[in-house]
Amino acid sequence: MNNENFSQAESLKLINEMIGKAKKSYVEKGIASMVWGALIVFCSFINWSQVKYKHDWPFGDIWILTFIALIPQIFFSIKEGKSKKYVSYEQTIIKYTWVAFGVSIFILSFYMGKQSQGGQSSTPIMMLYGIPTFITGAVTKFKPMIFGGIFCWVASFIAIYTNTESDLLLMAASGLFAWLIPGIILWTRYKKITSTSV
Amino acid sequence: MFKDLDPILHSQLRLAIMSLLISVKEAEFTFLKDKTNATAGNLSVQINKLKDAGYLEVSKHFKDNYPQTICKITQVGVLAFESYVKILHSYTEVK
Repeated sequence: MNNENFSQAESLKLINEMIGKAKKSYVEKGIASMVWGALIVFCSFINWSQVKYKHDWPFGDIWILTFIALIPQIFFSIKEGKSKKYVSYEQTIIKYTWVAFGVSIFILSFYMGKQSQGGQSSTPIMMLYGIPTFITGAVTKFKPMIFGGIFCWVASFIAIYTNTESDLLLMAASGLFAWLIPGIILWTRYKKITSTSV
Repeated sequence: MFKDLDPILHSQLRLAIMSLLISVKEAEFTFLKDKTNATAGNLSVQINKLKDAGYLEVSKHFKDNYPQTICKITQVGVLAFESYVKILHSYTEVK
């Protein structure tokens, strides 16, 4: 690219081309979304089977897995952040939204643990699930996540009127529609883009 | 009456740098080099020109023991870019 002066039309073309290049630079892999979606679905089903068939999971509270999963999540997020050559506005918004969600869900889980003596509505949890999912979908213009966020809120509303057993199935469905399916779509898209660009 | 185009921006490489940086919060020197296909020397000169004009903020850090240059567009840069695009549009509309 030289520094010679050029026409107005060429200027506009160059601006569009560079903005396009910057936007296409990052393709979300969807791994975190898939892992968390699968984990929520798994934990919800185990918890549901515990409630339905009144058996105990031999390793304590199954939801502890979500706290354990935070360790690799933090590790990979830091690693990915270090390898990035640029920071976009969208990524910054999404990062802070998910940090806020993480802190809120952490406090909420302790609060609910303290309050409950068995059987408590999952409404506030699914309501929280919906917020970062919806924002991420809206900021990245990714419809499956917008739909996933809305699904979480609908499930959260339904859970006001359902028992714990049904709540857990709604929770599994939330994990599926908000994260697992969008994660799979993102992963498929990523693989397609990387295979064509090689 | 047409306004003159900002001579700092009306250069291919400098305009490419500004167009990339307007789309992101900040970017590494290597990112700009990859996207513009410019040589490191030329890119460095043009970044310095933009920095001297107050359009860019350049900071140097170390990442894993390697020097890293981060470029970020300033508010003055954003206004200059917007004004440049506006003038460009006025030219193309008349044509």
